[in-house]
Amino acid sequence: MPSNGSSSAAAVWAVLRKECRSEWRTRYGLNAALLFAVTTLTAVSFAIGRLGNRTDLLAALLWIVLLFAALASLSHAFVREVEGRTLLLLRLVASPAAIATGKLVFNLLFLGVLELVTVPLFLVLMGAPPPRWGAFLGILGLGSIALGGCATLVGAVISQARGRGALYAAVSFPLLLPMLAAAVSGTRAQWEGGPVGSEARLLTAYAAAVVGASLLLYDRLWED
Amino acid sequence: MSVALRSVAGAERPSITAQGVWHRYGPGRGLEPVSFAWCGPSVAAVTGANGSGKSTLLKVLAGLVAPSGGTATLSIGGSLVPNRARRRCVGYASPDLMFYDELSCAENLAFAGEALGLRDVRRAFTAALDQVGLGRVAEDRPGALSSGMLQRLRLALALLHGPAVLLLDEPTSHMDDEGRDLVARVVERHRRAGLVVIASNDEREWRIAEQRIELRGRGLGGAA
Repeated sequence: MPSNGSSSAAAVWAVLRKECRSEWRTRYGLNAALLFAVTTLTAVSFAIGRLGNRTDLLAALLWIVLLFAALASLSHAFVREVEGRTLLLLRLVASPAAIATGKLVFNLLFLGVLELVTVPLFLVLMGAPPPRWGAFLGILGLGSIALGGCATLVGAVISQARGRGALYAAVSFPLLLPMLAAAVSGTRAQWEGGPVGSEARLLTAYAAAVVGASLLLYDRLWED
Repeated sequence: MSVALRSVAGAERPSITAQGVWHRYGPGRGLEPVSFAWCGPSVAAVTGANGSGKSTLLKVLAGLVAPSGGTATLSIGGSLVPNRARRRCVGYASPDLMFYDELSCAENLAFAGEALGLRDVRRAFTAALDQVGLGRVAEDRPGALSSGMLQRLRLALALLHGPAVLLLDEPTSHMDDEGRDLVARVVERHRRAGLVVIASNDEREWRIAEQRIELRGRGLGGAA
């Protein structure tokens, strides 16, 4: 029989393990994301060479590569469940909040693995100046949480809608814009030696708002 | 090995009460208002024409669909089971239910057991698979199973956590005679230990029921 207590944590852990196992066996999302990131960086590197001290371009390019490499996979966290008709199984064994939290944690891990490969490659191929590591990793981490949270929430909202591909772009664009602007600005500032406090605060508030709203909304999302 | 069922002698007796429950998916689609009270140990049946809302009613009882109106409550031993805890007391099997094809049958059930917070997951899924005669295909992928065997896997999922209430939507669809006998044995065993609800138009499935309701609607907004 089910044990009492910590059942939500058990459900989150089960969903996370299931997501990791599925991704490890299919490697569909990770392979596609890495292919996009490596191809883009290589192509840009061949076309325009090293960007050196063009910190404005470097910051924008880094977040563009991360966004597009990750988005296709992040947005599919829930769509895969709907298209594979496995959402019913998930809902039978875990609460919507536990499902969403498990998928959010998986998406953040996914982003982490993607960044582990992409960011060093980016710094080398683009000839970027050495970053201020504390500020750089801080902005990168906060931006990743904001990006992962937003992509997971929008993916859940549109997963059962018709025309979800077009809907995803339309819904996520205005939601991602402030987060991207702050992440690009913060990344540029750390290269130029400026303060990154305001961008870090904005990204923290954004991530907290998105994750908080998600936890409040998920219970209402799949009742029909 | 057999799945441990809750003893329902006296205090653990499950009951389901519905008061004017109805649900609308869209124009002409849904469940017309229905009221009933079932008390275990027993077998209850829901019959009715295609589109009359049998599957919807079972989803409402399982807590998968929030009804548009009315209330459906589940009590165990006279204590009301909150909606968020319903999945632990209810086993649900339906032809809609699909499994993850990148996981084996055993891994699918293990995932469900972990998410439900079972203490001894391996023992639970081994017992459930043995009970439905799928022990020898535990390591196979669900996609490799025949439709009848897939139906058995759904039944194993429903039995996994030894629930007090078993909700079976067309439980013998795609099954051969041996499979039908298996379902009959499971229902017979469970009726002594809890409440079984069967939604079906096949008289062979529901004739053992002591209680039956027939849904006469053709979906809200349509002709009866």
